[in-house]
Amino acid sequence: MKKLLSILLVALLLIGTLSGCSSKKELKIGFNTQLTGPDSYIGQAAKIALEERVEEINKAGGIGGYTLKLITYDSRSEITDAVAAAKRLLEQDKVHAMIGPEWTGAAVPIAQIANDSKIPVIATTASNVSVTVDDDGNVYPYMFRTCFIDPYQGYALADYAYVDMGLRKVASLTDISAAYSVGIQKYFKDHFEELGGEVVAEEGYQANDQEFRAQLSKIDQTDAEAILVPTPTYRDIALIAKQGAALNMGVIYLGVDGWVAEELLEMAGPELEGSILTSGVSSDQPQFAEFNKVFEEKHGIKPNVYAYYALDALEMIVYGANESLKAHNEITAQGIRDAIENMKDVQLFTSKMTMEPDTHNPHNKPALIIEIKDSNWHQLKMFEPES
Amino acid sequence: MTLFLQQLVSGISIGSVYALLAVGYALVYSVFSFTNWAFDAFMVVGAFGAFYAITDFKLPIPLALLFAILFTMLVSVFVERMAYRPLRIREAPRLFMMISAMGANMSIINIINLQFGGHFRNFPQITGETLSVGGIKIGMMDVFAAVFSFITLILLWIFLYRTKMGLGIRASALDLLTSGIMGINNDMVAIIIFGISGILSGVAGVFYGIKYAVFPYLGLVTIKAMIASIIGGLGSLPGAVVGSLLLGILETLVSGYISSEWRDLFTFSLLIIVLLFMPNGLFGKSTKEKL
Repeated sequence: MKKLLSILLVALLLIGTLSGCSSKKELKIGFNTQLTGPDSYIGQAAKIALEERVEEINKAGGIGGYTLKLITYDSRSEITDAVAAAKRLLEQDKVHAMIGPEWTGAAVPIAQIANDSKIPVIATTASNVSVTVDDDGNVYPYMFRTCFIDPYQGYALADYAYVDMGLRKVASLTDISAAYSVGIQKYFKDHFEELGGEVVAEEGYQANDQEFRAQLSKIDQTDAEAILVPTPTYRDIALIAKQGAALNMGVIYLGVDGWVAEELLEMAGPELEGSILTSGVSSDQPQFAEFNKVFEEKHGIKPNVYAYYALDALEMIVYGANESLKAHNEITAQGIRDAIENMKDVQLFTSKMTMEPDTHNPHNKPALIIEIKDSNWHQLKMFEPES
Repeated sequence: MTLFLQQLVSGISIGSVYALLAVGYALVYSVFSFTNWAFDAFMVVGAFGAFYAITDFKLPIPLALLFAILFTMLVSVFVERMAYRPLRIREAPRLFMMISAMGANMSIINIINLQFGGHFRNFPQITGETLSVGGIKIGMMDVFAAVFSFITLILLWIFLYRTKMGLGIRASALDLLTSGIMGINNDMVAIIIFGISGILSGVAGVFYGIKYAVFPYLGLVTIKAMIASIIGGLGSLPGAVVGSLLLGILETLVSGYISSEWRDLFTFSLLIIVLLFMPNGLFGKSTKEKL
C-alpha cells in the first residue's frame, strides 16, 4: 500500500513538473491584494474584475501569441504578508509585472524588492509621495502608480474648503498608524493655514479602531466647522460619522479618496450629508454606469475604485507588453517597464494616462471634488494640477 | 466638567460590552484553566447571525437577536465538542487547547469572510435617538446595550449562585478532577460553560454589530476584553466586570484628555503595572477561589 502511494505521489510530482515545461508562451501578471483581513473589500471586487478582463483578452487571442496568466496572492491587509506575496510573485513565480499593493505602508518596502528583481510593480491606490521616489527625490525605476499623490489631494481639499466653502476653522481626526493619512493631514494643514484658515484640533486614532467618541467629544468642545478625516478606509469614516451623529454633533466632514466605496453610502449616507471629499475617480461618473450594472448583476457585488484602478494597472501592463513585442519581438519585464515609463496619452480603463518619467506618477491626474448628497456621490468640481 | 462626564459615560458604555466578553473568558478559564481564543469568532457569528436573520430571514428584531444568541451558543458548544473535548479527554497540555482555540477562531472568521465578504454591513437601525442630560449625550442604543449587558450578567450570577447546576459548576471551578470523582459530569459542565460563554459573546457580538457595523473582523476588540479580565483577575467574574469598566473608562479618558495616540500605551502599561503588584489581578484572591 505504502509503495503504491509513493509511486502515485512521484507520478503526481512528475506530471506537475512536466506541465510546467510546456512551451506555451505566457504573460504572467501578479496581483498582490487584500482578500482577507479587515480591508478585504478592497481586493475582492478587483480580483473578479481582473480575472474577467484577463479571460476576455485571452479569448480574443491573447497578446501576440502570449496567453495572460493572473496570479493572485492575499496580503491580508498586513505589510509583512504583502511583502511576502511580492517576493513570491517577483522572485519565485517570476511574473512579468505586478499589480498592487493598494496602500503606502506596503508599497514602500516593495519598491526595493521591485528594484532588486527588476520587474515593474504598479501600485494602485498607494498615494504617498515616497512610494515611487526615495527621500532624495530619485525615482525607483521599477515602481509606478495609477493614482494621484497625497500632496495634491491635501492641497485641492484645503483649497476647496477655504475658498469655495468658506471654512475657516477645521479639526482633524487622523489615522496616525497610516502614512497616507498623516501625509494628507499635513498637506491639508499646510495649505489651509497658508490661506488663512486654522486647524483648531488635531486628534488621532489607530488602524482598526472602532470607537471614536472620546476624540469626537473633544472636537465637539471646539468651534470647528468641519472635521477632516483623511482615512485610508471607508470603515473608519462610516463609524466616525455614525458616532458623531449619536453625539448630535451636526458637523460636516472633509474626506479623501480612501473614503470611496459604495458601502459607505449604505452605512452612513445620511450622517455624511453635505460632506466633501477628493477622489481620482468616482463611481457615479457616467462612463462607469454600464460596467457597474453588468458587474453587479453578474457577481452580486459592486465594483469600486480599487477595481477601476486595478483595471488601469492591467491596461498599463497590456500596453507595455504590446510595446515590448514591437520593440523586442518578445514580452519582457524590462520591455514593459520601459514602455510604461514613457507612455503618453494611453487610454486605460478610467481615463487616458501619461506617465512622468522622473517621478513615475501619472501626469496631471485631476482630483475630483465630490459632495455626498442624498446618500450619493455628486461631482462638484475638477481640479487640474498646473503643469 | 461636561467633557469629563461625557467621557465617563462613553467609557462605561464601552466597558459594558468588554464586560460580557471578559466574563466569558473568566468563566471558561475558571473551570478549564485555558483562554478561549475563539471568542473573537463567536462574536462575529453573533453579529452576522442577527444581521442575516433580519435582512434575509426577515425575522422581527427581538426574535432575530434571540436567534443569533442561541445560534452562537450552539457554535460555541460545537467548537467545544470538536476542538477542545478531544484534547481534554486525552489530557493534552492547556497550551495546546489555546492553540486549538486559535485555529478554530481563524477558521470560523475566514469561512465567514470568504462566504459573505469583508465589507461593512449596516445593522438595520433599531433606534437612532440620542439621550441628552445636562449636555451629556449618549445614544439610546448604548444605554440599552449597557442595561442588557448588566441584566445578562446578573442572570448569570443568579444561575451560578442560586441553582444546583451553578453549584456544580462552581465545584468544577474549584477542582475539576475531584468534582468529576464526586459525580459531576464534566462533559455536561463543559457544555453548559461553553453554552453560557457562547451566549455572552453572542450578546456582545449583536450589540457590537448594532453599535458599529457588521463585518468579519469586528471581534478584534476581544483582545481588550482579555486584558480587562486579566486586570480584574483571570477567572474572577466580579473582577472581569470591574476590570472591563476600568479599562473602558481609562481608554476614553486617555483619548479625551491626553491623546488617542497614547491610549494603547496606557492600557498595556496598566496591565503590566497591575500584574507587577498584583500577579493575580485586582480580584484574583487565590487560584483556588475563583467563582
